[in-house]
Amino acid sequence: MAAPRSNREFIEACVRSGDAVRIKQEVDWENEAGAIVRRACELAAPAPFMEQIKGYPGFSYFGAPLSTYRRMAISLGMDPASSLPEIGQEYLKRTNGEPVAPVLVDRKDAPCKENILMGGDVDLCKLPVPLVHDGDGGRYVGTWHAVVTKHPVRGDVNWGMYRQMMFDSRTMSGAVFPFSDLGKALNDYYLPRGESCPFATAIGLSPLAAMAACAPSPIPEPELTGMLAGEAVKLVKCETNDLEVPADAEIILEGEICPDYKVEEGPFGEYTGYRTSPRDFRVTFRVNCITYRNNATMTISNMGVPQDEGQLLRSFSLGLELEKLLKSQGIPVTGVYMHPRSTHHMMIVGVKPTYSGIAQQIAQLAFGSKLGPWFHMVMVVDDKTDIYNWDEVYHAFCTRCHPASGIHIYRNTTGTPLYPFATPHERKYSIGSKVLFDCLWPVDWDPVNDVPTLVSFKNVYPREIQDKVLANWTAYGYPPVK
Amino acid sequence: MNQWEVFVSSEKELVEDTDLELTIRTLNPGMHKFTYKRVKCQVSADLKKHADQLQVRLGRGQLSNSRFSIQVLDEVRRMPAKYL
Repeated sequence: MAAPRSNREFIEACVRSGDAVRIKQEVDWENEAGAIVRRACELAAPAPFMEQIKGYPGFSYFGAPLSTYRRMAISLGMDPASSLPEIGQEYLKRTNGEPVAPVLVDRKDAPCKENILMGGDVDLCKLPVPLVHDGDGGRYVGTWHAVVTKHPVRGDVNWGMYRQMMFDSRTMSGAVFPFSDLGKALNDYYLPRGESCPFATAIGLSPLAAMAACAPSPIPEPELTGMLAGEAVKLVKCETNDLEVPADAEIILEGEICPDYKVEEGPFGEYTGYRTSPRDFRVTFRVNCITYRNNATMTISNMGVPQDEGQLLRSFSLGLELEKLLKSQGIPVTGVYMHPRSTHHMMIVGVKPTYSGIAQQIAQLAFGSKLGPWFHMVMVVDDKTDIYNWDEVYHAFCTRCHPASGIHIYRNTTGTPLYPFATPHERKYSIGSKVLFDCLWPVDWDPVNDVPTLVSFKNVYPREIQDKVLANWTAYGYPPVK
Repeated sequence: MNQWEVFVSSEKELVEDTDLELTIRTLNPGMHKFTYKRVKCQVSADLKKHADQLQVRLGRGQLSNSRFSIQVLDEVRRMPAKYL
């Protein structure tokens, strides 16, 4: 099965497999659409494809695009029943290859140019921008999208998923953290010079382009999308600036980030499951042009309590990118996993504990990397512990992590303003704290006489006894184990 | 009558019968619902004092039980002219 090349192909594939439902009745952009998406996330239900939006004929919504591993498998062209480790291995295989450069297409071959609004016609309210959660600071244009920018000196392209609230008909404001790629470019270059930063927001991307925009990979997102898809992504020039955007995106907003003007943004329900960050003056985007496809579909991610794609996809890509980083340093990791229900705050690392201090080395690399601001807990377990099995991980944590010597706290690190536990001061200045839970037996313990023996069916019985018990399980009177 | 909404950290920010500068959003039905303006205005807890109505949300979006009437005196343009 080939990976869907557009948001439309993805929706069709999900409908065919039962992983999306077509909602024919009219839904309201004010709260109702958001509530449908939220409930679908909390039930791990099929993604809602809402075909009639009140007051916006010709537009539709697709919600919760990647909030299940099944839909993530579909996005990669895999069997929806693929296991998480299988999906992870496929991601690693594809993203360890050669970058696939994008190709530029003519605007006549770009569906996103089917409708163009410029000048006095530009009005964000012509799009069905949803009020995602009741009580949000505004209608959010960007919840599942990519903000496209280019570094003014290096020229490298960045696609990032920075939330964007509609302030008025031509203005958006959004949270751009100072440690993000765009935050660095603004603070290093544009703001000191007072220059506007050109941007384009692409909404309704192919699922793999969205995955790339979410992934904290050092590979530029257009190339990463091509690697994931197995073919070059098609880009087209913007109408009003020199940026290039995915030609098959549903909606494109073009404009400039104002260096000398900020409007209020938020509050907004976020991936942590809370409205954490207060309303504040944030990065402000002025929209100069809107282009969109006929019958455009706006994608909606409704972040809140687990699980939505904010947690699931971010956990997935953060874990796998950290695995790549640790392996690049020669650390004998056997796997890295973030459970989505940790709201991508806890990194679980499996490792062969072959030398002292290996857990500290892992934590220092993890927290010190570009990935570090997005999580604040690292738990290191041995290679015998199944990192995907929370029961095993929790048991290891509760029994092997020494309360006095196994917990290591790092203070005054980089954090995000979205940490629910952070103080108001810490949130304002992105100040974090981190913790390592070292759940490894010390290497200076005698493995025979000091290390406790795990008492489990798999570990304490001879193989022949295990086989006999398994073979006779139903004969003993037990129902079969699935 | 227009309906407006404002986000404040504390309702103490809404001093009655004094010229205030607030960022308010329209709750009037239609495609522009929830878009913002910066305005000079006066508010009153007397719901009949001014023609327009104002409801209040607090820092994390909680809807306050308090209601005000509001008179928008003028629109305040904050955006530099070069972006208009």
